[in-house]
Amino acid sequence: MKINPAFVEKVLTRFIRDELTKFGFTKGVLGLSGGLDSSVCAVLAAHALGAKNVLALIMPYRKGFPADVKDAAGLARALAIRTKRIDITPQVDAYFLRYPTKSRLLKGNKMARERMAILYDFSAREKALILGTSNKTELLIGYGTIHGDMACAINPMGDLYKTQVRELGAYLGVPGKILKKTPTAGLWPGQTDEGEIGVAYAEIDAILFDLVDQRKSRDEVIADGFKEEVVDKVISLIKGSEFKRKLPPIAKISSRTVGHDFLYPYDWDR
Amino acid sequence: MAPRLGDIKANLNRHLEFLDRARKDKADLVVFPELSLTGYSLKDLVPDTSLDTARGPVFRELLAAGRGMSVVVGFVEERDNERGLFYNSAAFLAGGKVLHIHRKVFLPTFGMFEEGKFFAQGRNFVPFQAPFGKTGLMICRDFLQYGSSYLLFAGGAEVLIVISAAPGRGVAGPDGFETNHMWELMGEAMSYFSTAFVLYCNRTGSEDGVSFAGGSFIYSPKGERLARASGLDEEVLSCEFDMGLVRQVRKTWTFKRDERPEIILHSLERIVRRYED
Repeated sequence: MKINPAFVEKVLTRFIRDELTKFGFTKGVLGLSGGLDSSVCAVLAAHALGAKNVLALIMPYRKGFPADVKDAAGLARALAIRTKRIDITPQVDAYFLRYPTKSRLLKGNKMARERMAILYDFSAREKALILGTSNKTELLIGYGTIHGDMACAINPMGDLYKTQVRELGAYLGVPGKILKKTPTAGLWPGQTDEGEIGVAYAEIDAILFDLVDQRKSRDEVIADGFKEEVVDKVISLIKGSEFKRKLPPIAKISSRTVGHDFLYPYDWDR
Repeated sequence: MAPRLGDIKANLNRHLEFLDRARKDKADLVVFPELSLTGYSLKDLVPDTSLDTARGPVFRELLAAGRGMSVVVGFVEERDNERGLFYNSAAFLAGGKVLHIHRKVFLPTFGMFEEGKFFAQGRNFVPFQAPFGKTGLMICRDFLQYGSSYLLFAGGAEVLIVISAAPGRGVAGPDGFETNHMWELMGEAMSYFSTAFVLYCNRTGSEDGVSFAGGSFIYSPKGERLARASGLDEEVLSCEFDMGLVRQVRKTWTFKRDERPEIILHSLERIVRRYED
């Protein structure tokens, strides 16, 4: 679980630079919420591409999370990266006016996808690739909106657990108030990841590390001292979210089918 | 070096640049990494990037550029008399000829690796007489299966050359990827117990999110590390060594003299005959 943050920074900044260069891009764009993950990603992007080649979109809904918006702007200023503030309230409210719901989850997902659509639009406008900010914990337990915050062109953070992201963030000089923030998907005010999932990140990460990195069985993880119901919960979250980590299955009819046996590298001819 | 995936022309040009530079540096031997002419994560590009050393301009140009030197390159091999079989191969060029070809025997096919899906398997570890001494070639995973080095040692190799496209994994260590340590451990052990030089050339760069770990090294027949390249940066690692050291070390450490391949063979035959399904 331990990381050497200086070396991780080197690998990840190189990854960002290499991938963009291969596809003919020099600029990156990301959604900056003021939370830990996107802040760390912004620092990595600035180090990899140079501050002037990074555009951070700050996309608040109504007056929610004013402290986060302020922190996002402050970090962007400190990094000297470009920012654009886009209020997503009009388009989100217009939709729910026609199709009202009381579900905070539906509203939150819609907002995440609205932000995604804006990121892709700016990706094209600015000729910039979208840097994803989903971490390994979120990817494994499926704590993200499919085609929302999980959508991106490249993801430098996806093999780092939340606790490792925090360690990297501390090394990169991310301000203490961002490092200490209670993680939230920002789906609604007062919402916290740990409150919603029902398990603390430190514990989820330790269980995931056992299950995924160490390839331990359920019983072995429980024997390590984790509560049975928590381990089962984590396992069921992993299983239940596999669809978010895959392209949709394609019905196979021919002898060579996209997604089955038409197998080319992502970096084909790059 | 960091080859460009699937682009033989671009990679050939880089080889020619490096060979030009090596000639100016008066190198005797130049080693390129695994699949240096094609890049690693080829998948279905394998048939489109195959080469026959006997035909076409690529090897003709490499042989011309490598005149007066020994050169090891990695490529996808498909021969006229074995069409449709694609090997992950290493060619040893010297004296204007392809002196030896090694086809990768151990094709990693697990987890992130899928070579067995796309390549045919080599069947041999055969040392050959290089201009500087008897030499054996291995490709990446071959070297981690310790029987490979043994066969080359038993066959009389004084130099073991390993070309590699090893991805880096594990970032807890103080210095680069943790997997680099694994390769060096093998380099140290195999050079020491084979009383032979070990040259390990690993690529850099990234493909599909995977970072190749570099960290090429050279060990002496005494198990001493003579040189090591950095982890992530492309680098030409050069090192001068005296082949006379093999003889000198073998006077002290008699592993080679005391080796009994016939006993090993006899024991292996017994093991293989007793296979049960």
